[in-house]
Amino acid sequence: MNALELADVSVRINQAQILHGVSFTAPKNQVTALLGRNGVGKSSTLKAIMSLYSPTGSIKLNGTELIGTPTHAIAASGVAYVPEDREIFATLSVKENLSLASRSKISSEKMSRVFEIFPDLSTRQEQRAGTLSGGQQQMLSLSRALLNDNQILLVDEPTKGLAPKLVTEVADALAEVAKRETMILVEQNLALVKRIAQKIVVMDQGKIIFEGAPEKLSDSVWVQSVLGVSNRGKHS
Amino acid sequence: MTLRWKYSRYFLIVIVAALFAAPILGTNPLSKPGLQQTLAVAFVFGALALTYDLLFGFTGLLSFGHALFFASGLYLTCIFINHSVFVWWIAIIASILLTSLLAFLVGAASLRTTGITFAMVTLAFGEAGHVIVNRNFFGLTGGENGIALNAELIPQIWVGVVNTKYLYWSALICLILTYLIIWWVTESSAGRVFAALRDNEMRVQVLGLNTRNFKLLSFVIAGALAGLLGSMMLLLAGSAAPRFAESNITIALLLMVILGGAVTRWGAVVGGIAYSFLTTRMQDLTQNGLFAGLPKYVSGPLSEPAFLLGIVFILVVMFAPGGLSGAYYKLRLRSISKKYSSSK
Amino acid sequence: MSTFLLMTITGIGLGALYFLVASGLTLIYGLMGVLNFAHGAFLSIGAFVGLWFATSIMKEATIPNFILAMIVGGLAAGFFALLMEQLLITRLYDRHIDQVLVTVGVALVVGAVLGGWFGNDLRLFPTPLWFLTGINFFGAIIPADRIIYIATAVGLLIGNWALLRFTRIGLIIRAGVENRNMVNALGINVRRAFSTVFFLGGFAAGIGGVLVSVYSSGVSPLIAGTYLIYGFVVVVIGGMGSVTGSFVAAMLIGVIKQFANYYVTGLGDFVIALLLAGVLLVRPQGLFGKRIS
Repeated sequence: MNALELADVSVRINQAQILHGVSFTAPKNQVTALLGRNGVGKSSTLKAIMSLYSPTGSIKLNGTELIGTPTHAIAASGVAYVPEDREIFATLSVKENLSLASRSKISSEKMSRVFEIFPDLSTRQEQRAGTLSGGQQQMLSLSRALLNDNQILLVDEPTKGLAPKLVTEVADALAEVAKRETMILVEQNLALVKRIAQKIVVMDQGKIIFEGAPEKLSDSVWVQSVLGVSNRGKHS
Repeated sequence: MTLRWKYSRYFLIVIVAALFAAPILGTNPLSKPGLQQTLAVAFVFGALALTYDLLFGFTGLLSFGHALFFASGLYLTCIFINHSVFVWWIAIIASILLTSLLAFLVGAASLRTTGITFAMVTLAFGEAGHVIVNRNFFGLTGGENGIALNAELIPQIWVGVVNTKYLYWSALICLILTYLIIWWVTESSAGRVFAALRDNEMRVQVLGLNTRNFKLLSFVIAGALAGLLGSMMLLLAGSAAPRFAESNITIALLLMVILGGAVTRWGAVVGGIAYSFLTTRMQDLTQNGLFAGLPKYVSGPLSEPAFLLGIVFILVVMFAPGGLSGAYYKLRLRSISKKYSSSK
Repeated sequence: MSTFLLMTITGIGLGALYFLVASGLTLIYGLMGVLNFAHGAFLSIGAFVGLWFATSIMKEATIPNFILAMIVGGLAAGFFALLMEQLLITRLYDRHIDQVLVTVGVALVVGAVLGGWFGNDLRLFPTPLWFLTGINFFGAIIPADRIIYIATAVGLLIGNWALLRFTRIGLIIRAGVENRNMVNALGINVRRAFSTVFFLGGFAAGIGGVLVSVYSSGVSPLIAGTYLIYGFVVVVIGGMGSVTGSFVAAMLIGVIKQFANYYVTGLGDFVIALLLAGVLLVRPQGLFGKRIS
């Protein structure tokens, strides 16, 4: 059973074609990792799903077409988005960030569930989110997504730019989340991907070049897809 | 394949020649001073709209302070002539140079901002100019009443109703001169940078060009030409008055460019001439009781030119963003592609 | 000393009027990126509806009646703003320049309609007698109407602050000023916040319109223009999107203008233009604005 199905999704911005007919599926209750070098269209794919770009093709959430639906309606139908640069609201407090994100009245049960995963945040509820550390901001961004009942989580490079100790912390949290949520994860950290992903999708130049189980992906493609070694080899 | 009509250049030459010859070709509407005067003013606004198109259409700068430079040319020329600082033609050149300097200073300050802030800031500078001429500092600008040009200090062929045709020809020459300069600027390599700035500023920055300097260049060229047209307007109006410095003038220019269609050059000129001509005519018609039969709450707004203009303007922005010239090219594109597909 | 006090307080009174115009402008800009040229039209509509209410419905110019007229004027302008947002602005979603152009068109049409109906001459606004008295404030005789301007502006500032601080829509507006797309991506229709802000901006401008009519001793479609431009200047100096910034900038401009005009008649506007240029050179994002990268 697939939570999300993309078929022939393309995105053009001005004259540049960013996605060339992307098709893949994200099975329910699994983590699908989206891999590829920088700039191949991973983040754009997530943005297309959220309608932050205007894509063509078909994107179905549990059988319902999302293309043409405004961003807020997509989010409200249960697609939680954790963007690449966290995009927490810097001038609002931690608590305000969370209460804004919660679509129903925020319950103490939900809050405690979030604070269980991210104990750091519970003591900083009144702090302005802009003054949090990078890792804490990432946790806040994830918490915003976890407050609601989701059909699927879209998480974009959650460990990017974090110190090694924080990477472990965020990774642990994600592994915890992965136990009960459907997720599409864009990530460069291979250890984390191998730890939690049940399915791998590899992109190159706006297209899908591999889709399948992690075991089927040979080590050379692993390295190629993320570090772009093959590309570098071509030029030298 | 080009969207331009292949006879457009000949067509333009014929029209210009006809406009030049009309006042002396026997009896026709253009042999009367009234229409000559109205059209001369319309030519000046057509040219002014073209300078605004250079800013807004070609460079993407939404300035609300362009009237400042028009008024600066107008007032400085008048002051230099009246106080016998310079002979009339040196007065015009000097006022264009000083207006360029003013445009440089205002542009340098305003271009520290971009987009909508730039619009607000230029509006504020434009208004400051309006306030200054309105206040009559040192008795130079005559305050609210403005100053009359001393007609004894300019060539006599520009004075008197019988000589209106000379003013008409001068205005037409100003329009052609402005058109040629802007044609040259926009087709030059600098003009291509202006267009690139409008479309994608980042790409120009990547090429290592200082984007602000190019914007400033466009701002100064448009300002200097507006100064020249201000001098021409002074000859036509015979006086310098604060209404030429109002932000309403700039807003009118914006209307002309949007209605005529930006970035096509001829769109702005046609928009400017039509706008100026029609608003003058509208005023005459309403004064002669065009809407007399209607109840006052209908005739009142209808007799204000701004009412219909505003509505047309809103409709064009919402439904026909290319304006008049945009619609023309859309039609041409359709007929060309139809021809192309039928010949296949 | 008493002259100094008088100039300062009357300057703050003038600044209060500027703030009423600027508060809506800055919020609309901060949230939606729309430079609203129709804000002057909101001001005029508030003034004319307030005038109609004060003369046709209320016969006596008492203080409660005046306050009622002010609120009615504010509501009328607020609903007009809402109508404009729904009919025109929302259809030009993310076409910022076109949104500006449409507001220019609305400003033209409203100006022409009001001019066509009422003419451009000043019409007297019925003012409670108390407004014309002077109040002794530490030896300075302050015209009483200034107190009303200041009280209204402060009341609006507090109301604005409370709304932004304690309500959910306020939370959405604050978040939206920072990052509109992310608010949408959290499943909140940010357009609801747009409509609220347009209504509130119109309401504040409408109230400002009634007070401006008292200050300029009459109503005319022409008076809105000057205040709109001062509103823009306040917004730029205070920093786009910052209500607090607008409040501080408005007071500053009011006081500086008053002092400049006291020493040289007509110098005020000129000094403000220089101040604007200075602020832009030193701090292009305005006093309370965020750095635009």
